[in-house]
Amino acid sequence: MTPPAPGAPAGRTRVKTQLWRAVVAFRVAALAYAGALTLRGRDDFAHPDAALVALAAMVGWTALMTAANSRDRGRVWPVVVADHAVCIGLTLASAAIQGRDQVEAGVPTLTTSWAASPVLGSAVLGGLLGGAAGALAQGAASVVTRGQLTTATAGNVVLLLLAGTVGGYVVRLAVDAERRLAEAVRLEAATRERERLARGIHDGVLQVLALVQRRGAEIGGPAAELARLAGEQEVALRGLITAPPPTGGPGAGPAATGPQPQEIDLRALLAAQRSTAVTVSGPAEPVPLPAPVAAELAAAVRAALDNVARHAGPGARAWVLVEDLGSEVVVSVRDDGAGMPPGRLEQAAAEGRLGVAGSVRGRLADLGGTMAVESAPGEGTEVELRLPRREGGWSG
Amino acid sequence: MVRVMVVDDHPIWREGVARDLTEAGHQVVATAGDGPAAVRIAAAARPEVVLMDLQLAAGSGVGATREILAADPSARVLVLSASGEDADVLAAVKAGATGYLVKSAGRAELVAAVERTARGEAVFSPGLAGLVLGEFRKMAAGTRPDPTAQLTEREVEVLRLVAKGLTARQVADRLVLSHRTVQNHVQNTLRKLQLHNRVELTRYAIEQGLDTGD
Repeated sequence: MTPPAPGAPAGRTRVKTQLWRAVVAFRVAALAYAGALTLRGRDDFAHPDAALVALAAMVGWTALMTAANSRDRGRVWPVVVADHAVCIGLTLASAAIQGRDQVEAGVPTLTTSWAASPVLGSAVLGGLLGGAAGALAQGAASVVTRGQLTTATAGNVVLLLLAGTVGGYVVRLAVDAERRLAEAVRLEAATRERERLARGIHDGVLQVLALVQRRGAEIGGPAAELARLAGEQEVALRGLITAPPPTGGPGAGPAATGPQPQEIDLRALLAAQRSTAVTVSGPAEPVPLPAPVAAELAAAVRAALDNVARHAGPGARAWVLVEDLGSEVVVSVRDDGAGMPPGRLEQAAAEGRLGVAGSVRGRLADLGGTMAVESAPGEGTEVELRLPRREGGWSG
Repeated sequence: MVRVMVVDDHPIWREGVARDLTEAGHQVVATAGDGPAAVRIAAAARPEVVLMDLQLAAGSGVGATREILAADPSARVLVLSASGEDADVLAAVKAGATGYLVKSAGRAELVAAVERTARGEAVFSPGLAGLVLGEFRKMAAGTRPDPTAQLTEREVEVLRLVAKGLTARQVADRLVLSHRTVQNHVQNTLRKLQLHNRVELTRYAIEQGLDTGD
C-alpha cells in the first residue's frame, strides 16, 4: 500500500470511500424528499417564491457537495464545516420563508432530513465525536428555528444525535477492521513468500548441493573439498528453511506437547550442531527442558564436539544421540577417531590439565548430572551425559 | 540385479540416482516425480525396491509408501530423504518402509542399501535408530502401553549403538553377537513398530465405528 500523498486526508481507505458514497446518496435522496414537501406545501408558505429560490439553492449545493465528496480533496473539514453552515442557514431561513404559523403548526422545515447530510459527513470524517458535534449543531439550528423545544423537535435532535454517533462509531469499527484485514493479508503474503522461497530452495539449490556433495566425494582430490563445502552449505541452508532458529528463546518448542513456558526443546538447540561430520539423532517428539538447563547441556555437547574436532584426528565423524527417558535426559556424543588409552583423563586431571572434559563434567555437575567417558586407542571416544529431571526448581 | 523404482520430485537428482544404480548393474524399471504417479506406475512396473523421497511436489511420500505396499506387499520401500524430516521418516517407517538413508550418503552406500533392502534386510541410519528408540519410549510412557510393542533390553542396546553411528558389524563385535543376530534384532524392532501401528489403526477404526460401515 502506498502512503497517502502529502496534504491528503489521513486514513484514506476503501471503507471511507464507500461511506462517502453513502453520504452522497443520502443527500440526493433527502433532497428529493425535501423538494417534494416544499413543492406540495409552498402555497401555504408566507413567501412561496422564496421557497423555490431556497429549493434551487439546495439543489445547487447538493450538486456541489456531490462533486466535492466524490474526491479526496473534498472530504476535508473545511468542506464539511461549509456544508453545516449552508444547512444551518437554510434551516434558519425556513422560519421567515414558511411563516411563523406554519413553523408553529409543526410543518417540517425546508431542509428537513436534508440537514442530516453534514452530520453524516462529520461522522465519517471525525468518528463518534465528529458525528455528535455535527448533530448538535444541526439540532440547535432546528430548535432555534422552531423558537421552542417541542417534543417533535427534541425527537428530531435525538435522531440526529443517534445518526451522528452510531455512524461515527461504525466508521471507526469499519476502518479498524479494514486495517486489521490489511495487516493479516500482509502477514499471510509474507508467510507465503517465505514458504515459496523454502520450496524453491528445497527443489533446486538443496538438490544440486546434495548432488555436488556425492559426485565430488566420488571424484576425490580437489573435488572432494568442493563436496565438503557443498555439504556444509546444504546442512546450513536446510536448517535455515526448516528448523525454528535456536535463538527462538524460551517456549520455542512446539506447543502440541505443551512444554512449560520457560521450557525449550533440546533437539532444536542441538540441531545447530549438524554438519557433514556430525549426525544428530533423537526422538521425533520434543525433549523439553528448562531453557537455562537446555542451554547448559547444549553448551556441554558443543564442548564435547569441539574436543572431537581437536583431538579425534582428521576426517573423524561424530554422532550425537538424544534420549528422553522421562526421569532423565541422556545425550551421548561418540566419535570414530583416534581414541585414547585408559587412564588418560585421570592422568590429565592429576596433572591439573582438566581441559574440555573437565569443563563438560563441571557443567553437568552444576546441573545435578553426571558425565562418563569411554575410550580405547583406535576405537574412538564416547561421552555420555546424564541429566535427571527434577520436579520444581533447577539450579541451572 | 534388483528392479528399482526411483521416486523424487527433482529430475536432476532422480536421473543421478538412476544412473548410479544402472552403473552398479541394477535395473531402474521406472521413475516418478510425485506420489499419485508413483502409486500408478509401481502397479505396472512391479519394482522390488522403491527408493522414496518423502518431500514430493504432489501427494506425500508417506501416503505413496502405504499405497504401494498395500497393492504389492512383496515390494520394499527404502526412504532416501534429507536429514531433519524426522516426523515424516517415522511415519513412513510405520507405513511399512524398511529402511532410511540420508541423501548425502555416497554412491556405494546407496547401492549397498538397495541390495540389502531387496534381500529383505532393514536399513537403519543412526537417525532412524534414534527415532525408533524415541517412539518405543513414548509408547511405553503412554496412557495404555501395548505389552507387545516393547523392546527387549538387547534390542534397546542394539538400537542405541546403531544410533551412535556403529555399523552392524561393529555392533556385532561390541556385543559379541553374530552379524545375522544383530540384523534380526534391528528388523524385529521395525516389525513391532509396524504391527503396533496396524493395531492402533484398527483400534481407532473400531472406536470410531468405521468397522460397522457395511
